[in-house]
Amino acid sequence: MTKDVKSKPAKAPRSGQTRRSFLQTALAGGAAATTAYFGITHNAFAKASGPIVIGHQCELTGGFSSWGYWHDKCAQAAVKVINEGGGIAGRKVELAVADTESNPAAGARKLRSLIQRQKASFVVGSVHSGIMLASIPIATELKTPYFSAGEATEATGSKGSRYSFRTGTDTYALAAAGVPWAMENLGKNWTMIFPDYAWGHSHHQEHRKLIEAAGGKVNDPIAVPLGTKDLVPYLARIPEETEVLFSVFFGALSVAFYTQSKSMRLDEKMKMYSVSGTIEAIDPRDINGATEGVYFLENFPRPLEFKNDEYHAKFIEMMGVDPVYAKDDKSGKVMAKSHAWQSYENFFALKAAIEASGWQSDKDTPGVIEALEGLKMENSLAHPQGTKILRAEDHSGMIDCYMSRVEDSKFVLKKHIPREDLMAKLPPRYDFRTHKL
Amino acid sequence: MELVIALGMNGIVWGLIIALIALGLSIIFGLLDIINIAHGDFFMVGTVLAWFVFDTTGNYWLAFAIVPILGFAIGAVIEYTVIQPIKNAAALSIVATFGLSIILQESVRATFGATPARLTAPIEETVPLFGLEYEVYRLFAALLSIAAIGCFFLFLHRTKLGTWMRAVRFDPETATAMGIPARRVYMVTFAIGFAMASLGGVVAGPITTVDFQAGVDILPFCFMAVIIGGLGNLEGTVAAAVMLAFFEGVMASFVDPTLARIGSLCLMSAVLLVRPHGIFSGSTR
Repeated sequence: MTKDVKSKPAKAPRSGQTRRSFLQTALAGGAAATTAYFGITHNAFAKASGPIVIGHQCELTGGFSSWGYWHDKCAQAAVKVINEGGGIAGRKVELAVADTESNPAAGARKLRSLIQRQKASFVVGSVHSGIMLASIPIATELKTPYFSAGEATEATGSKGSRYSFRTGTDTYALAAAGVPWAMENLGKNWTMIFPDYAWGHSHHQEHRKLIEAAGGKVNDPIAVPLGTKDLVPYLARIPEETEVLFSVFFGALSVAFYTQSKSMRLDEKMKMYSVSGTIEAIDPRDINGATEGVYFLENFPRPLEFKNDEYHAKFIEMMGVDPVYAKDDKSGKVMAKSHAWQSYENFFALKAAIEASGWQSDKDTPGVIEALEGLKMENSLAHPQGTKILRAEDHSGMIDCYMSRVEDSKFVLKKHIPREDLMAKLPPRYDFRTHKL
Repeated sequence: MELVIALGMNGIVWGLIIALIALGLSIIFGLLDIINIAHGDFFMVGTVLAWFVFDTTGNYWLAFAIVPILGFAIGAVIEYTVIQPIKNAAALSIVATFGLSIILQESVRATFGATPARLTAPIEETVPLFGLEYEVYRLFAALLSIAAIGCFFLFLHRTKLGTWMRAVRFDPETATAMGIPARRVYMVTFAIGFAMASLGGVVAGPITTVDFQAGVDILPFCFMAVIIGGLGNLEGTVAAAVMLAFFEGVMASFVDPTLARIGSLCLMSAVLLVRPHGIFSGSTR
């Protein structure tokens, strides 16, 4: 396994140049050039027969690190399982990890490093929407398949490409999965409150379309600037007639929202509904009932009992988390389960596509892309989230979703939404197969 | 009209909490000329320590007593190891405190973890107030902030150490010549600044959240209060924090709260243009 490394700072140039120093420099340069030549030829050879380098771009530090920890753990587990099973097409997998620092600029820079320096032929990418959207043009430019794990719909939409894939859901899919049930069971008058950036606005737009199409009313949206500490001025603007309060915050802002809305007793006046991203890596017990009664749309049910099969059981055993709260009791960390599975399963999707296409080196990558388009993944140890399809047109994963409610600090399943239902409501809006490879 | 009053009052409450935190920033700048980029992280450390005390003992009130003392001790150590070596170098202080900020954040991330937590308010009741279900704890937090700020000013004006602090701030050379231990006063001042920010963390913790980046977003508002109040002007900082938050609260009842924040930034810009040394620049520094 390789990690991103920092080069030593260069020494300041010396002003004087002697014959001896010139000869030393020339000799060193010659040696470096020779080494580089052998390095290049060795690398070309390795590409066709040595280990397959797969990059993992994840958030080990910064604001998303509570998720990134699990994405990293999933990737490590996938590579271990694959290598123990004989690798990909008989070749070992070498994992190259790059920490994005939860920062789009750093994430994009490190993606280049993963592909160009560490020679990653494929990249399992970030869950941070900003990083993912900054990375897709780079992966496309460098003709490297890139799996997004974030939810901004643009990754497999207006900013997607032939090289961009996502096995999980986006805001388009989450709206299609959740709105019909929520309209029927929670109410028809909606207010949406979200962070004032792309992810929140994307949720608002996708949900609004479906709610209004189904005859519901959507009140004026409430966009909260990132970093807001006191939410009272925003919560005070929620109309009295609201039946469903849909929120999509992340991390600390999410906890602040649930805490402050609960203390203002909004949960007694309206139904509260959200997506799993707002409670990811958080144990409801740790926020003392602030999410009690809130409905969440999940991509992977947190307790084992709501998708009770051997693959799910084995997966949570590998992750070292308990079957109810998905928590590692030793570290106290809660698994970011609704998203992190992608950083596990994407390696197996790549394995299937590489083996199906007969990939040997980067020149064969177009074959892998064609194999990924329309790839069906069966419920198995390789795909513990469940059977899914990577739709050929828009490279989007079609997966089962789960509507759950927090009751006594546990996630309780209310409705299983099969992928077939989702696909029927989710016509592809893009066809990347028209893009040349 | 009810919404105007409610949000204006909420602004005052929030402004008082911010004033408590910003006061520490102002003290540190006023005496040491340190532009403390890590001050928000002092607040964050306060919230984390409060969470830890509550998690360990189950007693939130204990955090009020213990955390400022711990904050004072940590502040003294930081002053000795980080601030003292770069004293009288404003540019270096920015770099050093920026580095300190990263160290504090990553230390908390490595130990406490990256997942945000909630500190349960010791008073969970609400009261209907001008059309809002308003947390009683917020009112309590405002009273506590007033008490803490009042105690600080009493300390500054009624104790020997407070007099020394004012003397060193006014003229360090003469104060030293008069036998005041300036070196020790610097350390105590910085430590008090940390203690006040961490007390702000205990007070605000149940309202906001506990996480390793909690200080990042609170810092700009503190700087706004310090700049509008006049750099190093302690009374001005308190008044500016309350005025700013009240202004934003009232504005938020008429326009989008985001526009209200833009409005307060415009107000700060206008103040800087008209009175570059702050609204209360006539007072002592």
